[in-house]
Amino acid sequence: MVGFSLAIFFFLMLAQPGFEAFANDIRHRTQNREIVSAKTTASARTQAARNTGRGAQLALKVQPSKLVLAGPMDMRRLLVSAQLADGSQVDVSRSATLTALDDRIRIDADGFVSGLKEGESRIRIDERGAQVEVPVTVLPAASSKVSFVRDVMPIVNKAGCTSGTCHGAAKGKNGFKLSLRGYDPQFDYEMFVHDVSGRRINRVDPSHSLMLAKPTMQVPHGGGLRFDLDSRYYGTLLNWISQGTPYGDPVAAQVKRIEVLPGEILMPRPGLVQQMQVTAHYGDGSSRDVTREASYTSSVPTVAEVSQDGHLKTLRRGEAALLVRYEGRFLPVAITVLEGRPGFRWTQLPQHNYIDRHADAKLRKVEILPSEIAGDAEFLRRVYLDLIGIPPTPQEARAFLTEPGEPRLKRSRWIDKLMARPEFVDHWTVKWGDLLQNTRKFVGDKGVWQYREWIRKSLAENKPHDQWVREVLTAQGSTFENPAANFFRIARNPKVAMETTTQVFLGIRMVCAQCHDHPFEQWTQNQYFQMAAFFSAIGVKEGADSQEEIVYLKRNEEERDIKHPKSGNVVAAKYLFGDNTKEASQEGDRRDRLVRWLTSKNNPYFAKAVANRIWSYFFGRGIIDPVDDIRAGNPPSNEPLLAALTKDFTDHNFDLQHLIRTIVNSRTYQLTYRTNEWNRADEINFSHALPRRLPAETLFDAISVATGSVLKFKEVPLNFRAQQFPDPTVGMGGFLDLFGRPQRDSACECERRSDVSLSQALNLINGATVSDAIADPEGRIAQWVIAKLPDKKLVEELYLAALSRAPESNEYELGLNYLAQSPNRAERAQDLMWALLNSNAFLFNR
Amino acid sequence: MNMFLRLSILVTLAFSAPLFATEHPAAQQGGAKVSYFRQVRPILQRHCQGCHQPASKQAGLLLTSYEGFASGGKSGPSYLTGQPDQSLVLAYLKGDRQPRMPLGSESLPDEQIDLFRRWIAEGASDDTPEAARDKLVAGKAASYSVAPLITALAYSPDGALLAVSGYREVIIHRADGSGLVARLLGVSDRVQSLAFSPDGQLLIAAGGTPARFGEVQIWDALSHAMKRSVMVSSDTVFGASFSPDGTRLAVGCADNTVRIFEVGTGKELLKLAHHDNWVFGTAFSLDGKRLVSVGRDRALKLTEASTGAFLENLNTLRAELNSVARHPRRNWVSVGGEDRVPYLYTMDRPRALRVGEESTLIRQFERQDGSILALAFRPDGRRLAVGGTGAEVRIYDSDTGRKVCSLAGHDGSVYAVVFHPKMELVATGAFDGTLRVFESETGKLVRSFVPVPLEKSAVSMK
Repeated sequence: MVGFSLAIFFFLMLAQPGFEAFANDIRHRTQNREIVSAKTTASARTQAARNTGRGAQLALKVQPSKLVLAGPMDMRRLLVSAQLADGSQVDVSRSATLTALDDRIRIDADGFVSGLKEGESRIRIDERGAQVEVPVTVLPAASSKVSFVRDVMPIVNKAGCTSGTCHGAAKGKNGFKLSLRGYDPQFDYEMFVHDVSGRRINRVDPSHSLMLAKPTMQVPHGGGLRFDLDSRYYGTLLNWISQGTPYGDPVAAQVKRIEVLPGEILMPRPGLVQQMQVTAHYGDGSSRDVTREASYTSSVPTVAEVSQDGHLKTLRRGEAALLVRYEGRFLPVAITVLEGRPGFRWTQLPQHNYIDRHADAKLRKVEILPSEIAGDAEFLRRVYLDLIGIPPTPQEARAFLTEPGEPRLKRSRWIDKLMARPEFVDHWTVKWGDLLQNTRKFVGDKGVWQYREWIRKSLAENKPHDQWVREVLTAQGSTFENPAANFFRIARNPKVAMETTTQVFLGIRMVCAQCHDHPFEQWTQNQYFQMAAFFSAIGVKEGADSQEEIVYLKRNEEERDIKHPKSGNVVAAKYLFGDNTKEASQEGDRRDRLVRWLTSKNNPYFAKAVANRIWSYFFGRGIIDPVDDIRAGNPPSNEPLLAALTKDFTDHNFDLQHLIRTIVNSRTYQLTYRTNEWNRADEINFSHALPRRLPAETLFDAISVATGSVLKFKEVPLNFRAQQFPDPTVGMGGFLDLFGRPQRDSACECERRSDVSLSQALNLINGATVSDAIADPEGRIAQWVIAKLPDKKLVEELYLAALSRAPESNEYELGLNYLAQSPNRAERAQDLMWALLNSNAFLFNR
Repeated sequence: MNMFLRLSILVTLAFSAPLFATEHPAAQQGGAKVSYFRQVRPILQRHCQGCHQPASKQAGLLLTSYEGFASGGKSGPSYLTGQPDQSLVLAYLKGDRQPRMPLGSESLPDEQIDLFRRWIAEGASDDTPEAARDKLVAGKAASYSVAPLITALAYSPDGALLAVSGYREVIIHRADGSGLVARLLGVSDRVQSLAFSPDGQLLIAAGGTPARFGEVQIWDALSHAMKRSVMVSSDTVFGASFSPDGTRLAVGCADNTVRIFEVGTGKELLKLAHHDNWVFGTAFSLDGKRLVSVGRDRALKLTEASTGAFLENLNTLRAELNSVARHPRRNWVSVGGEDRVPYLYTMDRPRALRVGEESTLIRQFERQDGSILALAFRPDGRRLAVGGTGAEVRIYDSDTGRKVCSLAGHDGSVYAVVFHPKMELVATGAFDGTLRVFESETGKLVRSFVPVPLEKSAVSMK
């Protein structure tokens, strides 16, 4: 049951991406181009009042305010919204009547306007009695040439030909293969025009071309009818073939960016609709309305669903992102659907720092009331577990709970104290050990300790994140002398080194792009190899010692480069974004330039990726989540918050401890996990703490702290805590692995499992780990019994040891009654401890 | 768990494309009228028009158009509108009138016969959309506003004639470039391969109309009369080759089969199903006892030509193969395809087959600039010409692998390459619609022309 509810909990958490666009380089906020009609007449108002159920309509707004059409091929649509008397705005693009006021323009049934004759024209828009006119200028057509890249590929993509289930599959379909979602137009052109001696094109009688006969089902087609003979798509393809299948100018026809209207969707209630409008801007400066050819995906279809012609309908309160995709360009649109929340009243809690200001701004906007600040005991256990990976001892808990002073300052003092403890280093060494995949499987028995020590030292010194990354990524020489060089023993080839680097340090997953352009992001296969080329000259060879290896720069010219799998040509190193117009110099150690670019304060991903990742360790989810999958379709739930966190981190020269200290001092971190009426359903806006099952090592060590029992592993020194283990080979296959300790096989944060399973529950109830710890003759219970602690004191100590708090009165009562029922105090006390260790209060950090 | 959930969400979101209907909507709606364009016409094309086409016109019947079907042949109109039971077409299809149609092959399935019955009962109307109407009337030569791409070439054994593929026709030129001899009009949109019989009496044109039918046309090379049309499979056929004695011919098919026909009767002797993908090329051994074939499944398969028994794969599977050519004097074959490398294999494996061994490989030539689409040996076997998407055709010394010369000038893929049987000439045909003849030892261009008659306003297509 627990497992099941947890699964649901994670499903909700993951299924609710957030809100704002994140990628500055691809974000182009729409300009507000609206006009408000002044033409609404009194009679129109009465009419509107009769027609609208929800208040009289006042005015129509149209975007854009004027249309400029370049010839008959340039078809564009208008967005029409109506402002109602209650101030709300509704989209009426689909219901409004558009009338061409002369014969210079034509308006299709789907609302698209095209120019027939050059000159000035007007469109009248009628909706429920209100009226507005929009001027239209028809210019001469720039060109009547159909281009493969600009005109044909979008149709092929939209018709689904290139989808992964059809001809875009790795092996194509039924003898015909296209690139996945059309990422490689040159390849697709070859396939349409040249493959199998040009069988798909009929140059002499274009209408008899196979590429027209198939999608219109004039011949059998496994993919069914894609469009009709009288469709616009058919007309364009026929034209293209008739014109001699020109490829077109690939630069001029390249989509530079897309623009989406509206840029953000905020709906006051579910059930409202919104027509989207998508404009593509090309390399030659021209633009085109591509609303019909763009693809749309709603990240949470239960909040908002979208049709493939860009008509969005909101279904319930919540947040979602609409991802608009067109010819390899992506743009997310944040969707927020509210509903009337009668009785909601914002109550301002104290704000400790900027984190709380940004969190509150978002919460107010979506009408969620944050929980109260957690009590001292709740805070104490959480901050111990999060900062140093072990719960407070009974003595520490008692000291904190009884220490006088202003609570916020007291907490702040203890935070500083905890961060100065050696366990702080232990705990964070586990996390970085995971990400760097430190395991003897890759680096040997000696290497694993050396690499661990190097990580520990970096953390203890609070080495700035950029320096730390630089030391790892540019490491060379003996792994004995420079343990950071172990990175290249683990990521042994340039592709893996690149994938690990981008995923861990930029939060970008490049792995899809090895075989084809990333289907949900802008990254291309070329970029994959351009980035890998930064590592292609790195070699690893055996050292003098059997466990030692040497990381070196290859001297042989022929071995220094990486080749593109398709062309077989050498790929030059090139930055993934930012200054990526220039190829990086290929001379010397390319890694130096990579790291300079990577760790630059201007790199929009570097600081953000780590800030977001660190945040997730304290809240159970990233502001972008998953933390190592930053992309347009996975926007942050609170963009200003992430931006502020990133800026602060950058401004403090990538000081990880400053970042951590800022987060744990925030009120947002210190909220209780107990929810209220208004934030019960919230999983993404940090309005309350999210209970998290303790990670494997923390759980193990918490059992040890609670019971006072020291568990022995032969591979490590006595008294080592689980979080001090160098790698997952210690205690392999046991308790720690059952509770999701990662094997460090990948750099993905997801390798650490936080699930709850039946076998875990059975182990806790019945397994040796818990029962041995409780019954340890040198453990706390034995000592308490020997010391003849009074019953009341015994119950109190049990609670403090297991849950870091004093028992409540009914808990006292239960404990005392239970102890009183038997003369065997030790056994009774052990039973109580067992029950506490099996409670959610112990198993979860909340 | 995170990752899997995330993946499952991704999968749900990203791949929720509509499920595709595998049948046409009209076919699913029981009540809908039968369509001539979508249902009746394809059956006529595939099963009937091989014989009832302008080039052969059996029984005076033309089934290449609606009008021809309606007006019928010597025995009268094919049907009486609204009266299927009185209609000749049904009587012939059901065998009530002899000979039962389609002649020489199995009866059509009942569902297909029923389509004719319903179509006639429902009024036998022509619902061909305007956009899909044939511009070209069957039996009338195409008038070309653009040059069609050249997919096949063949010199007659005496070197006097050069056959070139056209749109729904084969064009016979005098090999010396002095003019056009004849236009052989057929019903297949595409001619994928051309081959003269060893005695020069017959010309085979194999091709078809993509996704509709495949056809092997057997022409009298002297009178230019069609001797036979054999309809094969439901897509174009590729890589036709004669057996050395000229009695059999083999073609590769899009249904992954190789078919062997008896030339004299058009009878299908064997249907070989050893390939896993489309078959693009075939060649008989010198004694005609064995057959090699290549295709998209990357395999160079050796088969016993009399029984169809599969003998072995001669090659290591590397890349899709588009073309095969047999050495004129030895049982050696050259193959080429997507990995751009021409290979030379022997059909006689020198050692027992062992896994991972390629003892049959004699030589591999230099990698080309594009996929290989066409291969040809000079009649003495000492030269190999290689053409493909790289546009430049290269000629190699087949004994040493040395490049002899390059033939430049085509714009776009080269689909056909043939050596002149007597002179040191090589002809190439390409995507650009031009035919080029080069000196095969020097690479010097002898002439270049568009082999089809172009309309005056037409421009050469690049």
